[in-house]
Formats: sequence, structure tokens, C-alpha cells
Amino acid sequence: MRSKMVEPFVEIVRNEQAYLTEIASRGKAIIGYFCTYTPLELIHSMGIVPVRLTGSSRQTDKAYSLVPSFICPYVRGALEKGLGGEYNFLSGIIQGYTCDAACGIVNIWEENIGGKLFYSMPLPYNKSAASGEFMRARMMDLVKMLESIGGDFQEGKLRSSLELYGEIRQAMLDMYTMRYRGSLPLSAGDFLYVVLAGFITPPADYLAMLKTLVSTFTTTATRKPDGVPILVSGSIIENTRLFEIVEDRGGRIVADDLCTGYRNFSPPSGSGKDAVDALIDRYMNRFPCPSRSRVLERLPHLADLIQASGAKGVLFLFQKFCTPHLADHPVLARELNAKGIPSLAIEIAESPDVDGQFMTRIESFLEILK
Amino acid sequence: MEKSGKSKKRLTTAKELSRIIIEYYQECNQARGMGKPVGWMPPMNGGIEIFYAMDLQPVFPENWSPICAAFGLTPENFRVTEEMGYSRDLCGYLRNINGYVYGLMKNGGGPLGGLPEPDLIISPGAGCIPVMKIFHIMEERFPDAKVFRADLPQVAVEDIREDHLRYAVSEINRLIEFLTEATGRTLDRDRLAEVVMLSDRACALWDEIMAYRKSIPTPFSAAEIGIMFVMVTRQGTQTAVDYLTRVRDEVRERALSKIGVIENEKVRLFWDNIPPWYNMGLLNYFETMGGVMVAETYSAAWSLRLDVKNPIETLAMKSLMSYPMVSCVSIKKRKEMVLKACREYHIDGAILHSNKSCHPITLGQMDIKRALEKDLGIPSLVIDGDHMDERNFSMAQFQTRADAFMEMLLQKK
Ligand code: SF4
Ligand code: SF4
Repeated sequence: MRSKMVEPFVEIVRNEQAYLTEIASRGKAIIGYFCTYTPLELIHSMGIVPVRLTGSSRQTDKAYSLVPSFICPYVRGALEKGLGGEYNFLSGIIQGYTCDAACGIVNIWEENIGGKLFYSMPLPYNKSAASGEFMRARMMDLVKMLESIGGDFQEGKLRSSLELYGEIRQAMLDMYTMRYRGSLPLSAGDFLYVVLAGFITPPADYLAMLKTLVSTFTTTATRKPDGVPILVSGSIIENTRLFEIVEDRGGRIVADDLCTGYRNFSPPSGSGKDAVDALIDRYMNRFPCPSRSRVLERLPHLADLIQASGAKGVLFLFQKFCTPHLADHPVLARELNAKGIPSLAIEIAESPDVDGQFMTRIESFLEILK
Repeated sequence: MEKSGKSKKRLTTAKELSRIIIEYYQECNQARGMGKPVGWMPPMNGGIEIFYAMDLQPVFPENWSPICAAFGLTPENFRVTEEMGYSRDLCGYLRNINGYVYGLMKNGGGPLGGLPEPDLIISPGAGCIPVMKIFHIMEERFPDAKVFRADLPQVAVEDIREDHLRYAVSEINRLIEFLTEATGRTLDRDRLAEVVMLSDRACALWDEIMAYRKSIPTPFSAAEIGIMFVMVTRQGTQTAVDYLTRVRDEVRERALSKIGVIENEKVRLFWDNIPPWYNMGLLNYFETMGGVMVAETYSAAWSLRLDVKNPIETLAMKSLMSYPMVSCVSIKKRKEMVLKACREYHIDGAILHSNKSCHPITLGQMDIKRALEKDLGIPSLVIDGDHMDERNFSMAQFQTRADAFMEMLLQKK
């Protein structure tokens, strides 16, 4: 059962195109991105709306004429929508270099759909004075690019954007804390709707929505913490149905390591001598994503989440063909197992056979955890 | 037709290559015994010249994959990797080397004496995701090795600017410091200048050799491309220069005397993407019908000159230009390279290998296909395959489609 509280979020996710077209019709430039390693705060501060591109569960026939079948369904689905004209309101795509698939699609998008601005931003893999300086130069490149499409850079505005996004992330992290305590009155499916709406909604509006949501919590009965607690780890998850099945079958998602989740929010902000430095600081100290870090460095972070949330098992949900996640998985699974945490990995294909195989596998996994 | 296995080589110097390969791996295996530290590193960057200049032994795990494929060891390596839980959807280089280091190598096996364990690992923060993950796996497998975490901007060649170069230079300097500290050896600047000079001579020879392929008939084909082994493993050494000089002489001789790969060259073909290392004979497939694989995409990776007067900058620039070719920074550049090659080598048709093992090089192929048709009127054939995993390639399907494509090209003639 969907909670009434999340209806406004569901509304936006379901009517994404109309919602964004309306924003664009007010003369706002909109920039798309695939991966959360995109400096949203900078884009936003310059008066441009950053929007995460979403996949599609439909057939991807148009995209198949441009990309092979062995590319993750997420980026292929987004390309399909772009080719079908569903992203005509975009001024372009900006993307940190995270995975080969997303950055390949940026190129293909530019060639085949077009737009004013396309940039795969090189991001350093090390934290050092030189790499910070290098990243600063890339931020300045981006400023110039955004100026060419009407953006206006001001340090003060960037500071405000950092605060705004910081507040949003903190609000989300507070909800994670409630979740660990069992006092978040939202199912995992509903919570995912809240997260997904955040990728589309302009931040000031989104923060207001979050505040309203949180204010209703106190007046609503707390959700009973039942079910087997599990942590979900993986790439982007867009299908709320997957989480609903897990919870219907007796699981309870208490934590996550997802880019449509915790990885996107932690840490809420960074610090530095000026606003650009603070922005860089956060990107350099993000909760590690497999596309930019080593598996053994991810492990302690996961272990912390498991401990904080009391998860008894880990469900890995990967987009099919997702190299960064697939490459880390065997070591993670082995190490978790050594710590007494069982795990199950499921790859999400184009139209997941949600009601068949998925259900059966989830059921037997939960059986093991009970 | 059964799988054709090894490619047919016509150059005498190409046949000489097996000796060069054996010697290189012998050298790798003897290095430690001679007190020479061994470092594992990714190819196509300035690290190789630094290593040779400091008298360290570079080893290239990526290059080991074609060797394993040639010796038929890939299925066993894949088996080990899959048993460890790795997905079959991952790049075959990753699955092969992982399987090797955890399988055959642990049991002391492998062809050519196997790979020596690394004292040093140059772990890239750059290039494609699989190559980074390969080195993360190596770090874990060889915990005693000292690790250098390299960082290189993933920037499209057309976008390289002063400060990208500055960052790359600072990384090369950091690498030198690391190597000095880890091995106690210092870098002699004169020796580095000499190595860079040798490296540049190899590049010049490479360009010269490639240019002879423009002759009609072409003096050698993609089936002979194993000669790039010296560019991968021996750049900056006299061995590479000597060998490439001999190749150049032979190729020049053949070009001047108009000796082609086959007697009656009718159709000139281009190969895009990494070849199927387990079945290099595929590159000879068209020959019975008069088709020769004249050129291929990746040979352009070595076509780049070095500035001998500024060794550090030039190595930084080399790294910036070559290494991002294995990532998705730019389709524009690749398209430009393929179109230029097809124009210069008088290509009639292109084979685009849609390679399940390599996302970066495969993404954008359809744009290349369209540009070839539109700008140059060159038709192309997309074939599904994999550069390492035979299970993702169907000979029967290839044959049917390749035959039809050849017939079409012959009719056009
Ligand atoms: S799901 Fe994986 S392959 Fe797809 S865009 Fe994300 S990181 Fe890249
Ligand atoms: S460039 Fe392609 S073949 Fe090489 S490691 Fe990366 S994905 Fe694999």
C-alpha cells in the first residue's frame, strides 16, 4: 500500500516529462546527467536546472540501432527516451567520468540527438593538492561552458546552492537514521519515490516537499519494524516494485549503498576556503562508488552501514552489464560472508521478470536470513 | 569452415616475432634474479620509458591476455574467474588475467615461463573501468608489491590544454619519486633522454611502416599486426628500433616490388576494434575471395611523435593522448581516425567488430558506420564477437554475413 504522504513525490516521478517541460517553458535551461558525480550545486547556482536522466522500462528499439545489446539497461533506456524526443527540453548533458557506459552515451547523445552543451568531466582519482587544483580548473571550465548557455556565476550564489543541497542531503540522512531506528514510517518503495523525485525537482521546491513530508511523520503512526532487516547495494534502482516485493515477502530494507540512495547523500556537504573548494571537498570525500574506488575501501563503509542499521544480509541489485559493480561484487560477497553476512546478487535486465524469478530468489534468500 | 586459429603471416620479420616475444618474457622472468625490480603496469603511457630509463622491468598484464589466447589457456583462466563469482559480462582481459593470477600462476604454470610476481604495481586512475579494476585485483593478489596510485585526466585529445598537461607532468614526476623511493634507483636524465629518443624512433618507424600499407597492393595485412608487440612492451629500447627497422626494410621492399599479401588484391578492408585473439585467422578470412584486411583502428594508437628535448613533458603528453583511447572520452576523435585511415588506405569496406568485452571501443561504432557511409561511401559490416571470449562469437554467423558482404563489395567494384 502506497502511503498518502508520498503522493506528491510519486506524482512528479510519474509525470516527469510534463513536469520538466513546464519548467523549461518558463525559460529555464535544463541540463541532464547520469551520474551523481556531477557538480549539481555549481550548475544550479548559475541558474540552470540539473536533472538526472532516467531509464525506461519500455523496449529500447531506437537505442538498439546505436548501441550494442550489452550496455546497461539504464543508460540505454535514457537514450531511447532521448531519441523519442522525450528529452527535447534539455540543453545538454554534463557528466563526471564515472563509467564507460554513461560517458559513451554522452558522446552518442551529442552525435545523434544534439544540444548545446556536452561535457564528460575528468575527475581526479586521488586526493592531493595537485588533484584539487586540477579539479578546480575543471570546475572553471564548466563555469565558462554554462556561461555560454546563459548561466551566471557568482560565489555568493554558489554558497547558497551548497547550503540548499547540503540541507536536502542532511534531511535525507536524518531519514536514514530514523530508518535504522525503525521509526521511518515509509516502506522502502515509498522511500525510493522520495529519492527519485529529488533527481527531477528543483532543489528549493524539493526541500519544501521534504519538510512537509517530515512534518507529517509525527502525526502518523510509526511503522512497525517487522521483517528481516537487509541492506541493498548496487547501481541505480528506478523500479520501486523491486523493493515492494522484498518487503511483501518478509524483508525490510533498512539501509542501502545505492546511487539512488545513500551514496548520493553522504556526506551532506564539504568545507574549504571558498565555495568552489567546499564543492570539490565534498566530491573528493564522497561515500565511495565502485566506479571511482577500490573494493576494499568500500568494505569498511558497508560494514559501518550494516552495523548502524542492523542488517542481517545484503541484497546486491545490479544493472545488467554494469562493469564497476560486477567487478567489485565477488570480493565484497566473499568479505561479507567472512563477517557472517550472507548476500544475494540479482542483475536487473531490461524488463525484470519481477513477479517470477525475482520473487522466488528473494524468498529463498530471506529464508536463509531468518 | 572450422575455426581458423592462428593468422597466416607473410612477412619474414613477422615470423621473427615469436623470438622477440620469448626473449621479452625471458627477460621478465630473469629480472628478479638479477636484482631488477619488476613492475606491472597498463600499456600506452609514459611509464614504460621511465621504467626502461631506470633499468626496471615493465610487465603488461593486458599483453598477457593475447598470449594466453594464443596458447589456448583462456578457457581455463575464465573457469577460475567464473568460479570466484565474476560475471561473464565483464571484459575478457579482466577475466583472463584474474583467472591466470589466481589459477595457473599460483600453481607455477603458464607459457613462456609465466609472469614474474610484481615488486611494484602502477595502478591507473584513468582509462576504462575494467583496466582500473584489473589493477585493483592485482593489488589484492600481490599484497607485498608497492603500489603507485596513478591519476591521469580522462580528457579527449581535442580538449587537452595546458593545465591537463601540467597535472600529467606532476603525476610523472610523482611516479619517478615513487620509483626512486621504492627501488633505491635514481633516474639518470641523460639516460631518459636516450630512451625517449629510442621511443620516438620507434614511433617514426611505426608511421613509416604503416604508410607503406597505403600501397596497392598492400605489402602486409592486419593479420601481421602482432608486430605491435614491440610497441606495447619495448618502446624506448634498441630492440624495438632494430626490429622495426627490419620490418620497415622488408615492407618497403615488398611495397616497391608490388608484392601484395595475396596475388590478386580486389577488395581492401578495414578492421575496427580489438581482434579476436583466440582466432586471428579471421583476419585472413576474406583472402580467398580477394579481400585483404589492409588497416585497423588501434595501430593509430602508436602513431605519435615524442619531443626528445622535453622528455618529461613529452611522456606526460603521450600518456594523455594514448591512454584515454581506451575510455569513452571522445567518439569524435575515433571517428576522425577511422575516416582518415579509410581514406588514406583506399578502403572499400569496413568490418566493425562489436566487441562484447570492450564497451569503450564498441560504443560509438554505429556513428562511425554512418559517417563512413555518408562521408566516404564506404559500407561496413557489424559482426558480433568478443576479443577474448570465444563463447560470444559464432563462426557460422560470421561466415554467412562476411560472405554476403564480400559479394556485395565485389559487385560494387
Ligand atoms: S548502472 Fe553501471 S554501467 Fe550503468 S551508468 Fe551506472 S555505473 Fe554505469
Ligand atoms: S579498453 Fe576495452 S579491452 Fe581494454 S581493458 Fe578496457 S574494456 Fe577491456
